[in-house]
Amino acid sequence: MNCRLLNCPEFSLLSREKNIFNPEALLEAFTMVFTLKCLYWLVVGVVVGVGVGAMPGLTAPTGVALMIPLTFTMNIASALALLIGLYKGAVYGGSISAISFATPGSPEAAATVYDGYKLMKRGQGRKAALMALYASVTGDTLSDIITIGVAPALAVVALKFGPTERFWLVVLACTLLSSLTGAHPAKGMLSASLGFFLGTIGIDPVAMVSRMTFGIWWIQDGIQFIPMMIGIFAISRMLEGTVELLKERRITQKAKESFAKLLMKSGPGLTFKEYIRCWKEILIGLGVGTFAGTLPGLGATVGAFLSYSAAKQISPQKKIGTGVLEGIAAAESGNNSTVGPTLIPLLAFGIPGSATAALIGGALMLQGATPSPQMFEQYPQVVYALFVILFFGNFVNLGVGRVFAGLYARLGHLPRQILIPLIFMMAIIGSYSFRENPYDVIVMLIFGFIGYILRVLRIPDAPMVITFLITPMMEANLRRALLINRGDWIQALFHSSLAIGLFFSCLILAFLAIRFEASKRLGIEVSKVKQ
Amino acid sequence: MDRWLKSNQGIGVGLTFFFTALLLYTQLTPWANTKLRDGFTLGFFPVVSIILLIIFSLVLCIDSRRKQVSDRLENLTLKYFMSTVLAVFYCWVYFKSMIAVGFLVTTPPFLLFSMYILGLKSWRSLVAASILITVIVYATFSIMGIELPPVKLPRI
Repeated sequence: MNCRLLNCPEFSLLSREKNIFNPEALLEAFTMVFTLKCLYWLVVGVVVGVGVGAMPGLTAPTGVALMIPLTFTMNIASALALLIGLYKGAVYGGSISAISFATPGSPEAAATVYDGYKLMKRGQGRKAALMALYASVTGDTLSDIITIGVAPALAVVALKFGPTERFWLVVLACTLLSSLTGAHPAKGMLSASLGFFLGTIGIDPVAMVSRMTFGIWWIQDGIQFIPMMIGIFAISRMLEGTVELLKERRITQKAKESFAKLLMKSGPGLTFKEYIRCWKEILIGLGVGTFAGTLPGLGATVGAFLSYSAAKQISPQKKIGTGVLEGIAAAESGNNSTVGPTLIPLLAFGIPGSATAALIGGALMLQGATPSPQMFEQYPQVVYALFVILFFGNFVNLGVGRVFAGLYARLGHLPRQILIPLIFMMAIIGSYSFRENPYDVIVMLIFGFIGYILRVLRIPDAPMVITFLITPMMEANLRRALLINRGDWIQALFHSSLAIGLFFSCLILAFLAIRFEASKRLGIEVSKVKQ
Repeated sequence: MDRWLKSNQGIGVGLTFFFTALLLYTQLTPWANTKLRDGFTLGFFPVVSIILLIIFSLVLCIDSRRKQVSDRLENLTLKYFMSTVLAVFYCWVYFKSMIAVGFLVTTPPFLLFSMYILGLKSWRSLVAASILITVIVYATFSIMGIELPPVKLPRI
């Protein structure tokens, strides 16, 4: 058991309980979360997150990657509060710039532009912004309730899996990731394979001997996750932004009408009747978003676009796309409903559902709680604290969005000439302060450059990141299965009907992805939307 | 020719060569064939991952999208590509100098120069933004208990 968690004042012997539902642990989770410190970091997380989402060019993974170094000195509840608050805020925040100047702050808000900006031009920006906020919070809250119900149940099932089933589950997740992320399955699979390769660098998990280090001594322990993430999610995007600025030297498109003013004036707000009128679209967003979030590889952008197009097809009479509130409700509920469910595969199987979930998983590991089904037994209070934060984070999101939306709209205009050097600096000091090791900065810069090349080639980075994180699990389970079956590969790989089923699922999925380009059909071309 | 090099097929061919060379390198290194207690060789998993990389690089060369060119790559010239290399190098120089003389001394000039290069030309804004950002970041990290490299002035 990791000493950091043991040193945590909130840690107690409750973690030794074997029940999945542990009321004492739940009580302890409440005492962990409802402290001034933890609530403060939750508010900070949401405040920063909405800002990150509102600023075009910054996304939730960038914000979370940059904030992880700040969590080293925190206790686990505060660290989770900061990161989950940021995640929630960033997914909602994208709608602010999407509505105010037709530039989605993040790709998942691109679907909000269609109706949001039209309403804005008609002088109904306040109404649109409030609809985005309420739909986001409603979808997010309901999907969190589903997450809280589903994740422990799945963990119970996962605990019954042997190493063979766990191995195939990881392979299935990798196949899902690579086939559903990005518009080109081959590139997704190439990215996942790259993550697999990078995951093999360093110490062999069984023999504890270094391998694939190219004679470089400072990667003998493997590639450090945090500097790698900061490089891929912060530096690569800023390098891209640098090239864009040098090329165009253009300033972010100015809003024709000040969003901030619209929010301040006593113009038409959102009535309760209008909010209730959109219940169908919010529920469509909830269903689609929860599904997209749970499945590794889809995520918020697909959630938003799928629910938007589903709502459009289900209710053609509502004329979604012409500047109606229902379009905003479907898109915003769709993207925010993915936030909680992306943590389901992470908590139930130890497999992150998205890049941001992978980062949260990495932060949990740093705190000494490795995400896995055993986590419900070993650290139930941490899991419950995460659930409590997930749920209450929505109310903080509601409050922050309601009070500061006007301010964030202005933040969307922050010149990228200031933003890019700021992110470069934060990335450098963040990766250095991680272990005060200069080589972490080298790793971060190298992966920043690799991430940039991947972006230029339009190879998605999420499959690489997630596969990198789960490679040790895949390798360890395969080797364990072989040891149990005395080196018999057939027995080790196919000894149960579940293992055979999972194997065929992988094959069918890979075939379908290549044959029918599933990701394209799911509308993932939207990933080309300016990030 | 230039367009082919930038197409998925061109990139796939390049990657195939690169990963094949990596596979050969791995196979030729002595550690790769070291037999472990559980029957695996030390190089088994790295080799499997490289083989997968070669397979999917080849798929890039032959699938239905082989002639497509990434819009980002199409618009990228050598000049702009080199600017990203320089940006990475510039970050490294900033980091080394920060370690040598301290965060508070090196950060304002780093920010000021970067913002100027990226197109912010108002000197008043440049100075104000670089000092303000440095102070805010330093204060935030200090409050968090994370020590940033301290100022080291040369002895007179």
